[in-house]
Amino acid sequence: MARVPLIAAGLMILFGIFASQQVLSALTRLQEQKLRELAQVQLDGLEVATLPSILHQDVWEVYDTLDRAARASKGMRATLLVVGDAQGKVLAASDPRRAPVGEPMAQFTSNATPVKDLRLPSGADFIRVVAPVKYHDETIGTIAAEMDVRDLARERRQAGAYLLLANAAATLVLAVGGAFLMGRTLRPLATLAHHMGESGGTPQPIPDGLIPPGKTEVSRLMHNYNAMVGAVQARGEAERRLAARERFVSLGRLSSSLAHEINNPLGGLLNAVDTIQRFSDRPEAVRESADLLDRGLRHLRDVARATLDLHRTDMADTPLTARDFDDLRLLFAPEVARFSQNLTWQITAAEGDLESLPAAPVRQIALNLLLNAAAAAGPGGGVQFRTASDGQDVRLSVSDTGPGLPPEARARIFEDGPAEPGGGVGLRLVRDLARGLGGMIAHDRNGGETVLTVTLPIRREGVMEC
Amino acid sequence: MTQTLTRRGFLSATATVLGASAGAVLAEARPFALGLTPVFLSNDTDLLRNFQNYLQSSMQGPVEFVQRRTYEEITGMLLEGSLDAAWVCGYPYVQHEDAFALVAVPVWQYQPLYRSYLIAAKDSGAQGLTDLRGTLHAFSDPNSNSGFLVTASDLAALDERPESFFRRTIFTYGHRNVVRAIAVGLAESGSVDGYVWEALTVVEPELTDQTRIVQRSELLGFPPVVCRIDRAETPSIRALQAALVNMPSTATGMNALTLLQLDGFTPGSSALFDGIAARMRRLNARG
Repeated sequence: MARVPLIAAGLMILFGIFASQQVLSALTRLQEQKLRELAQVQLDGLEVATLPSILHQDVWEVYDTLDRAARASKGMRATLLVVGDAQGKVLAASDPRRAPVGEPMAQFTSNATPVKDLRLPSGADFIRVVAPVKYHDETIGTIAAEMDVRDLARERRQAGAYLLLANAAATLVLAVGGAFLMGRTLRPLATLAHHMGESGGTPQPIPDGLIPPGKTEVSRLMHNYNAMVGAVQARGEAERRLAARERFVSLGRLSSSLAHEINNPLGGLLNAVDTIQRFSDRPEAVRESADLLDRGLRHLRDVARATLDLHRTDMADTPLTARDFDDLRLLFAPEVARFSQNLTWQITAAEGDLESLPAAPVRQIALNLLLNAAAAAGPGGGVQFRTASDGQDVRLSVSDTGPGLPPEARARIFEDGPAEPGGGVGLRLVRDLARGLGGMIAHDRNGGETVLTVTLPIRREGVMEC
Repeated sequence: MTQTLTRRGFLSATATVLGASAGAVLAEARPFALGLTPVFLSNDTDLLRNFQNYLQSSMQGPVEFVQRRTYEEITGMLLEGSLDAAWVCGYPYVQHEDAFALVAVPVWQYQPLYRSYLIAAKDSGAQGLTDLRGTLHAFSDPNSNSGFLVTASDLAALDERPESFFRRTIFTYGHRNVVRAIAVGLAESGSVDGYVWEALTVVEPELTDQTRIVQRSELLGFPPVVCRIDRAETPSIRALQAALVNMPSTATGMNALTLLQLDGFTPGSSALFDGIAARMRRLNARG
């Protein structure tokens, strides 16, 4: 926010420089104009005064005229006046030692300009002007004048220095004042930016004390912002509730399979009980039935335990083991069996790599993907589950022979937009859990199979809360 | 001389020592016209005013000083009669000896004689005229004895001409200007009236300090005051002569003489100018 006042101050400095340049160049132009007028008057006067003497080649008279002119124009800048003859030789000069009689005139005219072209180059202390002396349209000589312009250069330097000082002072005052005013004007925006979470936090409502009183645009803006923050928070809350519900969706999906899984052995178990009752005198039959009962009850116990474990929140920090995948298979197998699907189950991930990941989220990720795969594959289809690790990552790969991910499912798993209910069981939860573990999800369609691969980086210390 | 006599005319006549006939001394209504040339410090207005005041009081009538740029103009005006008398150089006097009569000759350093100086810039190492070959030479006036004739006749004796001996010659029409030309570096050598140069060492030493004397000529007749020969005996000329010769006898006259840096005036004789005549002949013989 400090940038805007700085930019304003910079613009003021630029403007100051530009204005100073304009003033200085105007001063230079004015000086040039005055100098041109002065030089023209001097040269014209000299031409008139020396013309007869030039015609007569009267060295002394030309000198005397130039000498008197130079003396009379003391303070009129001319430091050297030179008159040349038609042959380009010095006829006489106000200072004969600098311009001896008979010397080439070129050394005094070569860097001289006609009066109308007179300029004041910066840094020049002396300038030279030249004019022809004409008699009946014939050039009979030249007059060159060297003019002292040191005072003009000094004047320009002084003006420049004053302008610099004045501009610096004015710019400083304006910049400080401007920065103060802008700062005041922009302070509500800074407040707004701060509360919008400029440092990466979540947007926070602006307390009433910081909202300017009245119905100004800024206060309306802040009230609107606060209303939006409320809406965003409400939406976040709704999404959190939806995500929590998604955890139980998978359980719901499993419930009928689990009911079958429990119900199916019950008939056999009841038969075993009947056998024991009826053939209590036949030890082999009793033993066989007891074994059958034992296996059936153990299976039921395992199913119940796996079901309970699935959503136990106190298991959040429990490390992942191969047994978690066995539990998953136990829960998922009836679902596959119900649709007469072909299940491939391959666990090759190293136990050591698995331990670095928390059990609960990984189990939830795998189960949700498997349930979606089973639904997609349809009756008689195929579902594959593979895990692998390489010391860097653990990869869970779920593939099915279904028709592929529908767009809404893809949106839920890969995009950040609001998730509408439906369109894949818990896929948004898979996305959130994987992201929470620092992982990535890749989608591939390969040889009629849809493959979703979740790559989770192995973490050696701590376990992230999800 | 047809004008009526004035009271002042009578008074001035009585004051005349040389016995100019009373009556028509300065009877004319027009002022006495005295031509001046730069044979003295003619640029000094204080000097001119003093000199003029003295002459007017002594001659009891108005005296007008007439100055022209060249000796030739003054000589011409004297010849045609618009000037009553003129302070010219010995050279024009000798040139027109048959037309001019001496009125008075200034006395400088106790004699009516002076010298021409050949001068050069202060740092010049020249020992004589021949060392000045190829220099830019400043003459005073082509009709000046000290400012032209002396050097030109010396060159004639060497079978040289000024315009070829010197790189360039310029005429400054003033002895003071010759000194100035060398002092400022415009010219490298010059021919100047020795009396003027010496007078300048008193009043403008900063000019003469920039020059040095290379050579002095022999003594020659001092630039005289002359008149047309047919007017030599007129009362006004007699009055002028008396005024000049009597200058040391009055306070105002002495004052003017001091400013002129002269001792006085003497009637003089044409023999004083024989040296100049000889030089003129030498120059003319060279052709």
